[in-house]
Amino acid sequence: MARSNEVNLNECKMVVPLNTWVLISNFKLAYNLLRRPDGTFNRHLAEFLDRKVPANANPVDGVFSFDVLIDRGTSLLSRIYRPTTAEEPQLNIAELEKPVMAAVVPVIIFFHGGSFAHSSANSAIYDTLCRRLVSLCKAVVVSVNYRRAPENRYPCAYDDGWTALKWVNSRPWLQSQKDSKVHIYLAGDSSGGNIAHHVALRAIESGIDVLGNILLNPMFGGQERTESEKRLDGKYFVTLRDRDWYWRAYLPEGEDRDHLACNPFGPNGRSLEGIKFPKSLVVVAGLDLIQDWQLAYVEGLKKAGQEVKLLYMEQATIGFYLLPNNNHFHTVMDEISKFVSSDC
Amino acid sequence: MVLYDSATLGGSCSGSSSSSSSSKPPPLQQRQQTQQDIDGFLAGAGYRVRSSELRKVAQRLERLETAMVNSPADLSQLASDTIHYNPSDLASWVDSLLSELTQPPTCPSEFIMDPVSNQTVVSDAWTTAEPHMPQVHQNISYEQQSLNNQLTVVPAMEEDSGIRLVHMLMTCAECVQRGDFSLATSCLEDMQGLLTRVNTVCGIGKVAGHFIDALSRRIFQGIGGGSVNGGSAYENELLYHHFYEACPYLKFAHFTANQAILEAFDGHDCVHVVDFNLMHGLQWPALIQALALRPGGPPLLRLTGIGPPSPDGRDSLREIGLRLAELARSVNVRFAFRGVAASRLEDVKPWMLQVNPKESVAVNSIMQLHRLLGSDPNRNSPIETVLSWIRSLNPKIMTVVEQEANHNQPGFLDRFTEALHYYSTMFDSLEACTVQPNKALAEIYIQREIANVVSCEGSARVERHEPLSKWRTRLSGAGFRPLHLGSNAYKQASMLLTLFSAEGYSVEENDGCLTLGWHSRPLIAASAWQAVSDGTADFPA
Repeated sequence: MARSNEVNLNECKMVVPLNTWVLISNFKLAYNLLRRPDGTFNRHLAEFLDRKVPANANPVDGVFSFDVLIDRGTSLLSRIYRPTTAEEPQLNIAELEKPVMAAVVPVIIFFHGGSFAHSSANSAIYDTLCRRLVSLCKAVVVSVNYRRAPENRYPCAYDDGWTALKWVNSRPWLQSQKDSKVHIYLAGDSSGGNIAHHVALRAIESGIDVLGNILLNPMFGGQERTESEKRLDGKYFVTLRDRDWYWRAYLPEGEDRDHLACNPFGPNGRSLEGIKFPKSLVVVAGLDLIQDWQLAYVEGLKKAGQEVKLLYMEQATIGFYLLPNNNHFHTVMDEISKFVSSDC
Repeated sequence: MVLYDSATLGGSCSGSSSSSSSSKPPPLQQRQQTQQDIDGFLAGAGYRVRSSELRKVAQRLERLETAMVNSPADLSQLASDTIHYNPSDLASWVDSLLSELTQPPTCPSEFIMDPVSNQTVVSDAWTTAEPHMPQVHQNISYEQQSLNNQLTVVPAMEEDSGIRLVHMLMTCAECVQRGDFSLATSCLEDMQGLLTRVNTVCGIGKVAGHFIDALSRRIFQGIGGGSVNGGSAYENELLYHHFYEACPYLKFAHFTANQAILEAFDGHDCVHVVDFNLMHGLQWPALIQALALRPGGPPLLRLTGIGPPSPDGRDSLREIGLRLAELARSVNVRFAFRGVAASRLEDVKPWMLQVNPKESVAVNSIMQLHRLLGSDPNRNSPIETVLSWIRSLNPKIMTVVEQEANHNQPGFLDRFTEALHYYSTMFDSLEACTVQPNKALAEIYIQREIANVVSCEGSARVERHEPLSKWRTRLSGAGFRPLHLGSNAYKQASMLLTLFSAEGYSVEENDGCLTLGWHSRPLIAASAWQAVSDGTADFPA
């Protein structure tokens, strides 16, 4: 019954709850104000508008958090989230870094999204998400406040992720009792998913074990315009123009979207055959215009003989995992929980 | 380097957040929900929207998007010139953007222009087929996180000695709270010993040393605190000046307050600023110069500076006033100064300020209101008295800057813990500033605050810092409403920081107020207020 124009604009509102629509549309409009046509970014306004929350060493729903300065030189902060156990209702100041007490405790290093330019580890939406991951996976979550574009281009975000990984790997208090090793997972949404992939590569090269990668709507791309990009451009909160802007802001000047940061299995990419890459859980939203690139990523992993599970959520848009008011959210959270616990 | 959250570590038996004194308030979320039906999911994302208004907000967002798409000029104006306020209140944010647009979109909200084909499309998705998504798992405790729980820095915990030192400080404070002074004393001795093995030039060693001193004072001199805050006015001013120079907190306070005052005075020709603590008048040259440059010319500016009486026959207030008058003369601003000497702010009576009913008044309080929070059962509450007469002046604006900390809790251990975190962070931030001769004196300034918080009680304890959330409640209850500080003030504060200071300082927007902190722990908060114009205020019981 729908004329094609109706489908364009109304579909968007049909597939998400009203409050999700309000949230994501708000982001969309605010972000439109922040990206300047000349490639610069209104950072002050961005920080002013971003809703942030402080860390809280007082457990809330069984999770407490505190911030750590991992690297003074780059002012690299991370927010650590830990579960409380029944035995320790009151915390002492020096006990925030108390050793984890279980035989196996997963440590999830989380990279927030924002297309490399937006958000922070202390953004409200990501603080909320990380707290959920702690409860869900009985894990410690380390959310990395990586440097953002366009002020800091490739490879800064990856460098920061790598610094965080080394830091996590070297904390005695994060070691699982069973084998005195830190059980590391890498996770991220949007640009954070992209970062997780590249940090995992570096980890493998340096001999640090990563037990698994969790990529939520990871941000990948390429020079070619894919079918999904053409079909879904502008339909569900995201446009090709804004995707292009963010890549131009992150990639080195003069580089195109077949750069290996953007297109890891593209013409400039490298095969992962024979490499001991961590198993991956990749979540793709069926209404995300870059899904063809995400699916190509999954294919690239499979072709290289790597273990990967694809979760294709047909009616999901970007950001569906930010609010727990839809079925995709719960499905994905269950899968993440299984993914992390299968090593225990 | 570790940053910790302070909250109620180590002692609060009720498990309450640090903003409450004895009992835990209902989670902010729940209160709001029952009273105002705030959408719980959006609250978790940092936005306050009433569920009953969601549809309206959505329609406004659509209208805004249409306008932005149709007019790139509007988009760029919204992006660069518009001042944004209080983004958490999403409805008012969207409305303010809509009202900024030169041409309000004329499309009725039922129709939306398809940006691609420019064809009108019927949009009735909201009224007809809204998907029914069950709102399960409604998480109602998000707001608890933001209830006044703040970050702190405790430097370099890698050393065992550092950790032990902190443990012992907490143990000692606990003993003091319990009244076990002999155990506390032996703790002190142990800590002195440990200090010799820890670097006391920076990091945990340095701040621990100050806390050990303060504890000693409390234990051995009793809670009168000796002459902790009894330095001469001259000394205090000197230390204040060095603190001003060494780090950006006071500059931020002055700058932000001045910006708000300047805006409040827009269009007014007779203006009167009342400064609750003149010191060397460091805040005012910038305002005088800004007023000199304002379009339409400067107003007649009166400044009333309150300060302690000078002991030695000098009239130091008048001296400062003369210097400011000279500056004003040099930039052609008609200026008059009046000094009001008072040992305590609560001794000031409004008639001393000689406010003219035709003037627009700005009341400026930089870290003064907290000194009025000591309660004496024999007197009326000083804070209520002062807020009441401020209100009676009907000021155009009241600028308030306060330490963003909870150092006025009744329990000693809670206060001690909070202060340890707060001042560790502050010292950490100071270390990052360039080494200057100022720094040592600035540290003494901070050290005196620490000593007052830790070793004094009763009327001697004047450093009764309370966090923004408490000030909001108090000021609203006293008949003031907030004037929001916007993105322009935010931007200028951020830029000021990059000019003056080391990396690591951050300005944040907090419900219409601005805070300055170190590595995401806010340390100082600036807010602006106006008297509510109706009749009576409700004083806190």
